[in-house]
Amino acid sequence: MIRMLNIILFCTTLAALVGVYGLKYAVEDIASEKTALERKIDRQTGELSLLKADWSYLNQPAHVGPIVARHQEALALLPTSQEQFGRMDNLPMRPAAPDTAALDALLNSLDAGIDPIEQLIEAN
Amino acid sequence: MAILSVGAETISLDGGRKSRGNLTKARIRWVVAALLLVFATVGGRLIQLGATVTDSTIEGVARDVITASRPPILDRNGLEMAVDIRVPSLFAEPRRIIDVEEAVHKLRTVLPDLDEDWLRKRLTGDKGFVWIKRELTPAIEEKVFQLGIPGLDFVTESKRFYPSGAEASHVLGAVNIDNQGTMGIEKHMDDDSLALLQSVGLARGNDLTPVSLSIDLRVQHAVYEQLVDALARYKAIAAAGVVMDVRTGEILALVSLPDFDPNNPSTLFQDYNGVKNDRFNRITSGIYELGSTFKTITMAGAIDSGKVRITDQFDARFGVRFGRFTIDDFHGKHRILSVPEIYKYSSNIGTIHVMQAMGKDDFRAFLSKIGMDQPVPFELPEMRKPKVPAKFSEIVAATSSFGHGLSVSPLHMVRAVAAFVNDGNMVVPTMYKRSEEEARKTYVPVISPSTSEEIRYLMRLNALEGSGTRMNKIANGYRVGGKTGTAEKVVGKSYSSDKTLSVFASAFPLDDPRYAMVILVDEPQRENAQSGTTAGWNAGEVTGRIVQRVAPMLGIAPDFSEMLDSELVPPELR
Repeated sequence: MIRMLNIILFCTTLAALVGVYGLKYAVEDIASEKTALERKIDRQTGELSLLKADWSYLNQPAHVGPIVARHQEALALLPTSQEQFGRMDNLPMRPAAPDTAALDALLNSLDAGIDPIEQLIEAN
Repeated sequence: MAILSVGAETISLDGGRKSRGNLTKARIRWVVAALLLVFATVGGRLIQLGATVTDSTIEGVARDVITASRPPILDRNGLEMAVDIRVPSLFAEPRRIIDVEEAVHKLRTVLPDLDEDWLRKRLTGDKGFVWIKRELTPAIEEKVFQLGIPGLDFVTESKRFYPSGAEASHVLGAVNIDNQGTMGIEKHMDDDSLALLQSVGLARGNDLTPVSLSIDLRVQHAVYEQLVDALARYKAIAAAGVVMDVRTGEILALVSLPDFDPNNPSTLFQDYNGVKNDRFNRITSGIYELGSTFKTITMAGAIDSGKVRITDQFDARFGVRFGRFTIDDFHGKHRILSVPEIYKYSSNIGTIHVMQAMGKDDFRAFLSKIGMDQPVPFELPEMRKPKVPAKFSEIVAATSSFGHGLSVSPLHMVRAVAAFVNDGNMVVPTMYKRSEEEARKTYVPVISPSTSEEIRYLMRLNALEGSGTRMNKIANGYRVGGKTGTAEKVVGKSYSSDKTLSVFASAFPLDDPRYAMVILVDEPQRENAQSGTTAGWNAGEVTGRIVQRVAPMLGIAPDFSEMLDSELVPPELR
């Protein structure tokens, strides 16, 4: 009976030994993997911070302003003057119905071979 | 058995089994002793290891403090004004360096600007940690790694980067190499809470909540650009400007030239055109005699006291005599002037009479009421106490009424103007984003709403008919109004007429005031032979150009209808 118990205990110990040994190495592997990942994250957050800084630099009025100034002549850029602003209520009201009579007259004259717009251009 | 009885002791012989048993006991004892010794050694070593304090500091500074990060600073629209970037810093562990000469030689191939002797001294010895060079680039880090020198390593530090460069320098301030704020809003953030967070170890990592400032970078840029232009155009020695939301007290733009590059804080101490320490913040820590812009304050105080009405007339025919001195008008009309005329023609004589009608002690009390004799409660740490005499004599009261003999900061002025147009409610200015409800809690009524209406009329009148016409021509349609001030500067012991400080204190749109602005141009010269040197020609025009640029950004549409202006005229004058 005792001998049997001893054998069982011995086997368990052996199994535990192998298990712990394996676990130790597995943990070491995971730990080094974790360190590698952490390093990677660290490097990437570093790179990200640089990219973010770059992005915000490129978006700054201080950066965009000189570019505008450089191309001002080529693109004929000017600050918006007050007269260039309009309001919705400054727009003329839409006509209540399409002016069919005028349209008919235009089509008839076109059919007759007279182009009123061409005449306007020639008159000028 | 006689021998036995005589002998001292009984001789007993142990049997074989017994003596073996004894031997085993002795062995067990030895083994136990040996084991105890082993365990005691292990235990002792454990205690020793537990008790050692590992020195994690870097040259006396905790490693955490060095790698501590700061929250990003955003403008009111979420655009970054200051961000942290992660940069490698090179350090050495001299006790691990085997060949110092080789290390010095190799390092200098990558970092040639390091001094050879300094580096040799640095690397020799038994120290655990020394900095070699901080805040390098990833490319240099790679190169140093490839050298393969033992005992050299990198630690990642946070470095502050200001993408806007010099444009918001006085707002942001700067940080030192250990990432602690040394001036501007950076210092305020530290004094406020960040230093505490960092000291208890909370401000680590990159997930700090961003701080939103009240600054609008677009407005800041426009003001900056126009002031840089003004420096060149008027050959001025300095220029400054501040824009404030009159309802919330938020500062939308704050520029002071000459300035510095916050990415390289040592530029703050560089001489500017041979002048030392000239790069200070003129808006908060510069105090000036702001000249005729003070007439707005005198008028507001006098009308609000009820002793002067907008319809009153004052005799401005003769200069006012105080003993040996006579105070006269610049381009004076020398006739009887109404209150709006006094303001419009910027009559010193008239303003003195207005102040005297109010009473000099009441006038002094009014200056206290609008906070002219105390530093403005504000976040930026660069502050200077204004110089306002505690008690006014007749002559000091007279000169004060048109802005001489007392010095306040432009921030004082913009705050006062903002209060005058905001129905008389004075708000505490702030650098942080704030809602109107929050701002309302800080409102202090300084003049009545009806006085506020009359001041708005006077300011607009000056833009339409007075010294602000040049400004109004440029910013036509945006209903700007304001007062010019051409203050003579004190050179030696007396006032100089060719060295002046031009100021323009304005607000817009006056039919529904939203923004107040003060522009300062120091010692301006004529732009060309036809132009003048008074404030309307320089500070005024700068104001006009700024409003023209920023009003559309701030959602103010131009409106040319004359009805808006005629509605500003008080009923008594219609």
